[in-house]
Amino acid sequence: MKMFSISHKTAFVVDHCPYMAESCRQQVEFDMLTKNRPQGVIPLAPVSKSLWTCAVECSMEYCRILYDIYPTRKLVNFIVSDSEFHILNSWNQADQSTQELMAALAAVGPPNPHEDPECCSILHGLMAAVESLCKITEYQHEARTTLMDKADRVSNRGRIICITNAKSDTHVRMLEDYVQETIQEQNKLAISSDRLMQIQQCELVLIHTYPFGEETLVSDRPKKEISPVLTSEVHSVRAGRHLASKLNILVQQHFDLASTTITNIPMKPTLNVCDQEEQHANTSANYDVELLHHRDAHMEFIKSGTTSRDSGLKETVTLKWCTPRTNSVELHFCTGAYRISPVDVNSRPSSCLTNFLLNGRSVLLEQPRKSGSKVISHMLSSHGGEIFLHVLNCTRSTLEDPPSISEGCGGRVTDYRITDFGEFMRENRLTPFPDVQGSEVAGKVPLERAKRQLERHTRYWPMIISQTTIFNMQAVVPLASLIVKESLTEEDVLTCQKTIYNLVDMERKNDPLPISTVGTRGKGPKRDEQYRIMWNELETLVRTHMGSSERHQRVLDCVLACRSKPPEEEDRKKRGRKREDREDKGEKNGKDSESERSWQESERLKAALERDREELAEAEVIKDSPDSPEPLNKKPRLEVEDVQPAEKAKGPVSLLTMWTNRINTANSRKHQEFAGRVNSVNNKAELYQHLKDENGMDPHENGKAMR
Amino acid sequence: MPTVVLMDVSLSMTRPVQLDGTEEFQRKNLAVHGLTMLFEHMATNYRLEFTALVAFSSLWELMVPFTRDYNTLQEALNNLEDYDKTCLEPALQGVSNIVQQEWGSTCPCQVVLVTDGSLGIGRGSLRHSLSTIKHRSEDKKFPLPFPFPAKLYIMCIANAEELQNSDTLDNLEQLLSLNGGEGQIFTVEGPLCLKNVQSLFGKLIDQAYTPFHAVLRCGNLSSDVQVFPRPEPVIMDEEVDPAPRTILTDLEIVGFIEIGDISSPPVLSRHLVLPIAVNKGFLGPTFMGTGTTDETEEENSANQMAGKSPNFCVLLHGSLKVEGMVALVQLGPEWYGMLYSQADSKKKSNLMMSLFEPGPEPLPWLGKVSQLGPTSDAKENPYGEDDSKSPFPLQPKSKRSYAQNVTVWIKPSGLQTDVQKILRNARKLPEKTQTFYKELNRLRKAALAFGFWDLLKGVADLLERECTLLPDTAHPDAAFQLSHAAQQLKLASTGDSQYAAFDHNITPMLTDFSGSGSSDRDRM
Repeated sequence: MKMFSISHKTAFVVDHCPYMAESCRQQVEFDMLTKNRPQGVIPLAPVSKSLWTCAVECSMEYCRILYDIYPTRKLVNFIVSDSEFHILNSWNQADQSTQELMAALAAVGPPNPHEDPECCSILHGLMAAVESLCKITEYQHEARTTLMDKADRVSNRGRIICITNAKSDTHVRMLEDYVQETIQEQNKLAISSDRLMQIQQCELVLIHTYPFGEETLVSDRPKKEISPVLTSEVHSVRAGRHLASKLNILVQQHFDLASTTITNIPMKPTLNVCDQEEQHANTSANYDVELLHHRDAHMEFIKSGTTSRDSGLKETVTLKWCTPRTNSVELHFCTGAYRISPVDVNSRPSSCLTNFLLNGRSVLLEQPRKSGSKVISHMLSSHGGEIFLHVLNCTRSTLEDPPSISEGCGGRVTDYRITDFGEFMRENRLTPFPDVQGSEVAGKVPLERAKRQLERHTRYWPMIISQTTIFNMQAVVPLASLIVKESLTEEDVLTCQKTIYNLVDMERKNDPLPISTVGTRGKGPKRDEQYRIMWNELETLVRTHMGSSERHQRVLDCVLACRSKPPEEEDRKKRGRKREDREDKGEKNGKDSESERSWQESERLKAALERDREELAEAEVIKDSPDSPEPLNKKPRLEVEDVQPAEKAKGPVSLLTMWTNRINTANSRKHQEFAGRVNSVNNKAELYQHLKDENGMDPHENGKAMR
Repeated sequence: MPTVVLMDVSLSMTRPVQLDGTEEFQRKNLAVHGLTMLFEHMATNYRLEFTALVAFSSLWELMVPFTRDYNTLQEALNNLEDYDKTCLEPALQGVSNIVQQEWGSTCPCQVVLVTDGSLGIGRGSLRHSLSTIKHRSEDKKFPLPFPFPAKLYIMCIANAEELQNSDTLDNLEQLLSLNGGEGQIFTVEGPLCLKNVQSLFGKLIDQAYTPFHAVLRCGNLSSDVQVFPRPEPVIMDEEVDPAPRTILTDLEIVGFIEIGDISSPPVLSRHLVLPIAVNKGFLGPTFMGTGTTDETEEENSANQMAGKSPNFCVLLHGSLKVEGMVALVQLGPEWYGMLYSQADSKKKSNLMMSLFEPGPEPLPWLGKVSQLGPTSDAKENPYGEDDSKSPFPLQPKSKRSYAQNVTVWIKPSGLQTDVQKILRNARKLPEKTQTFYKELNRLRKAALAFGFWDLLKGVADLLERECTLLPDTAHPDAAFQLSHAAQQLKLASTGDSQYAAFDHNITPMLTDFSGSGSSDRDRM
């Protein structure tokens, strides 16, 4: 449907002349006899709606369906006509709601049967409708302003639905001629106005309504061209439910709607589909609910020609409810989603179904088939209080059996930082921001900001675990999460610096680093080599952000200052090691004092470093990036902690020892130990013991035997 | 996009082609040669395409059903026999049936018709079919346009000069326009020979079977990818200036959203996103897929190398799968799609991309995509500190009728239910004072809007009668409230502007009874 098709603007003109106050002559019992009533009470007389009431409630129903399915861009202007016209709303989107119209209708009230019929006419309303169709809507205005020089391409079409009580076919012709003339007049006026547009096409739908039991004075007539601009059709219907079903058919035709009947809806209390307030709660039965929606939701049926005709004019597709088993979120392959409106909105089955969906459950719908496997072709689901009919793809997929991602590029790599990237994705989730005018100018379009954030967050982002050290270290997390920010606060800088001092501290204490040993033989690089790698990587990370702000630069300065090795470092290292021992002993005294000490230490260090910062930063030359492989360690393995046997170690056992012991115990469980080793002394087993036995023990044995 | 090759095996295809100095060829041999080249190209560069082979003369036969096994197709192609005359219409009907049976009527397809351009004479000829097209009954309609979106490529094993002697080209063009102009007619340029037939099929490959290569980016992370099937240009119906829109070769991720939040959105099409190694050198069309053993080995080792170097697609896929999220990706100006992990039944999973309808707001529950920004810009984390909340779905400005308890009295049962509700609550006064007045006011509003004043009077009578029927045990407040309500309805039914205002609500009568009455008022 093109944006400015005939259905963009609908003008409703409802007759408010005295004869519309007449009864439609269909009675409604409203005093129903119910159980536990005292006997002998005579029910009150039934009431009857007037022609006006019928016309108004049916046109409200038309609008209700329209607004449910097209909340925007399909506009209604409601006009009532008696001795003058009353325009109840405007084309503005804000005025488009049934509540607005109901309030306005209440203000108008029912027609006054005592008014002089001579002064009243539907013509006032028809004229107002034509005038109104010339008025530009906000959507047309917007399209015209964006197209500028091609503004004339924005079209102006509309429909007038007129509900009246006509006298005769001649009367109807007179009404048509009047609309035609008015269009010509108004089009002339529109040429010279900015806020008016010429009507290019107008569809007049005249509905003659009359009380039940009367003969109609007007004959039905299908759509006919009155002029190139105007087409007209005439419907003659009895008031009451006939009028209602006529308008229901019309709204479907006018807005390309189709009907789906959901069948087999269980309404058992156990399913919580409905509240148990009502009297039927303890009975369980299956119900049907009819929904309207855009007809594209039936594309597959229309093309294959399998739409079923229910009764006479009514055409509906029946789909079977499938009780949802789980609440799990799943991404269905869905080719369309269309808003729905229940035909019978406040019937119990309808409201049970809609409430169930509004509570967040989705329902799959199955095509009823007599044989064969079940085909799920649609799904009902609500999003933000709106219910949509989703069309699911139910044919064979052309993408079936694709090569798995693990067979392609990068598929053999096993140590991707999946969890870290998951965390990254959570941080880069999107959220809606209100549309503020003028935000484009300030470069603050939210989506652009999102892209910029992604850029910042990925300046240095190694994809696999073995490519990185710093992202495997808990200690680096505060800095790594702050440095990617667009701007840093003074506090952030302090946190980053603390992180760096903490690393300095770790280095001084010679804490082990999670350096990957994948692909290298042996234990990998030595401890101080590991720290060099770590510092290089940290510097690379921080360096990519140094241009962001002066504070980012300060963090880099701090890294540069701290990673450099002043001459006295070796001394400090030694001192540090001694202190470490002391700390180990003092650990039981409480961690607070320790952290405080280290904090004081780093403060002192900071002060010292601050002084030399400039020259140190200059002196530092970055020799290698963490990407380049580290040279293999060529020095003989003389590292004290490596050589030291576990038994001799004073203080706590080293990690290596713990690991070796663990592996050994684990391995030993897996096989039966060699008999030799089991019997060994000091790991030495004597060979050929049996010979010894034979020689040495034989006499003894023999002796026994001899005995 | 599955392909159906519709091969003409009528007798006219066996016409010899005059070539100097070489062995004699039939047109059929040339056609087979061209198709062989197409199949080889697909086997190397487009191997996920499903292809079927249909042979036709006066009858048609499905030689090979849809398959990715190009050896089978090739074999069937080599063993085609010769039959009688050309009757295109039943063959096209056959294609239509085969495709619909396999893929339904929404899956876009490509039909490659290979013929020599002699389209029969008399009944059953294309000319005859086209001339009778307007006088068909509903059940004997011409198969074009196909019920599914289709591109029709007509490969004429004939050059334009010889076709000009007949009305063949006119008829074929009419066929194309019946298909909504989707497709193209290819003719041999120059004399009929192997080389020119190769270039004929080369043009088809360029047109329809070149793989779509793109770069997938997320900030500074990126990967070269092939998008399969090729995304085809999209024409939006609603635009004032309809122009086909093609997706960019630079696919930029703009952010991430939970699967539950995006919740099964409608999409135009789905595509596999396959990481590729660029230095492999099959960028752009390669016609010759003559894979010698050396080359395949080289390719294998190249594949292995590529498998071992980290690729962003694999990382992204892994995390999307684990986290249950999708990545929102920009496909062009105001055009977006989503990337997600898709698993098939065999435990294999893949990175998949779905395209949304072009436009600034493809999904109502996300709002305008350009208004989506980083959560760090929000004052408060919209997902909550413990991930318990979500900013989605966006609530529409107005509620739909089914979500706001509207009043519809078109069916008598609607009205009866509403009156019953009032009565039920009336019998439980004063406990149900609140609900009683709520229902009463709802009815009053609707009756005023519909100009249904008689109903107001009727319900007033009903409440008055109810008052007289109150049992002795009833709370004294009940009688007061019932007659108060009845009186208010009567006043409203006069249309007096003081009492019949739409926004006016009937409020409970203030009574002073100790006990439940006062406690009820407290609750108001």
